[in-house]
Amino acid sequence: MKNLMEHMGVEPGRLQFSWISSAEATKFVDVVKQVTEKVKELGPNEKFIKKTVKVA
Amino acid sequence: MADFEPKIVSFLCNWCSYGAADLAGVGRAQYPANVRVVRIPCTGRMSAKFFLAALREGADAVWVSG
Amino acid sequence: MDAYITKIKAISERLLKDGTVEAVIGFREGTLPTMSEPCFIKRSDDVKDLVWNANCRINLANYLTNRKEKIAIVAKGCDSRNIVNHIIENKIKRDQLFIIGVPCKGMNDKDTGALQDNCATCTHRNPVIYDELAGDLVEEQTGVDKYADVKKVEAMTTDEKWAFFNNLYASCTRCYACRNACPLCYCPTCFVDESKPQWVGKGEDPIDVRTYHFLRAYHCAGRCTDCGSCEAACPQNIKVRQLTKKLEKDCAELFGWEAGLTLDKRPPLDTFSIDDPNDFIK
Repeated sequence: MKNLMEHMGVEPGRLQFSWISSAEATKFVDVVKQVTEKVKELGPNEKFIKKTVKVA
Repeated sequence: MADFEPKIVSFLCNWCSYGAADLAGVGRAQYPANVRVVRIPCTGRMSAKFFLAALREGADAVWVSG
Repeated sequence: MDAYITKIKAISERLLKDGTVEAVIGFREGTLPTMSEPCFIKRSDDVKDLVWNANCRINLANYLTNRKEKIAIVAKGCDSRNIVNHIIENKIKRDQLFIIGVPCKGMNDKDTGALQDNCATCTHRNPVIYDELAGDLVEEQTGVDKYADVKKVEAMTTDEKWAFFNNLYASCTRCYACRNACPLCYCPTCFVDESKPQWVGKGEDPIDVRTYHFLRAYHCAGRCTDCGSCEAACPQNIKVRQLTKKLEKDCAELFGWEAGLTLDKRPPLDTFSIDDPNDFIK
């Protein structure tokens, strides 16, 4: 999945996976920080958004 | 881009990461508020459709955690 | 080719006459000059309609899904691999089938008349399972670079890739011919037709088109045999195999898997192995 996304021209890092057990709150916090950092570096997603106006 | 706050849609397994998130909350841990959590019953519930739907609706990234 | 068809006709006639099968799936002359069309032959008198030529590019395994009767099917290398897929995925039983294997040297492109792209790099020309052969096995190609175009895309930067695929799918009209021609696409309701929730818009919005092609390819991961039906069916001549080929390459590299070669092994995406690559997980 990730490979194909990247192959198609979506930046690596837009899709991230991790594995955290329910007892690992600290790891959870760490990973949230990491993921956020990485996405901040990437900048906003400008490609894969459907641009048309949504009609409610 | 310094003040860019990304929207990260996160799909968390009920039994693993969602539990961890709960524990982090109980422990009053501080973490960035950029994640929008979607609880799924198991990471096996994850589907490529979810990921695409999230991006299409304007998420900046998707994070899947089991 | 002539020898093939004589043999195919003889086998079909015999099977229909003695009641071994209720129908034979093969090709007959199409309404367009460079298109042979798939057909069901149910009476032994109709066997004369069968043809075999370089225009039999559609994958016949597509017509086996959920069939209950006994069927004989004419199968090239790629068709036979898709038949294996169908058996593995419980879409048909092996004992329902009589497979007339046809060693194949490639089909011609519907427009140029040259060998189809996927046939030019095909390494499984002979059927992998069959009950009877319509001709002698042909020599397999070796040393062909199957993934030359995939590698070219891989070498691009993210933005170049994005532009490349925008360009590739620019003329797509969302006719779903590629989906309908594909033997793997047998879901009762395709995700593009689902409306609650609606995963993908119906129009020609570039993002919708891309979502469609992406998910279509993704659903074929570890199953696609690169038979080229999708590309042959495309009225706009879009190279729709680009994404499925990338997945094929990944499956070969990550799991050492090629789809549809054996009945005894489950495909990599529905088994767990301790050696599965998991570098992408933090």
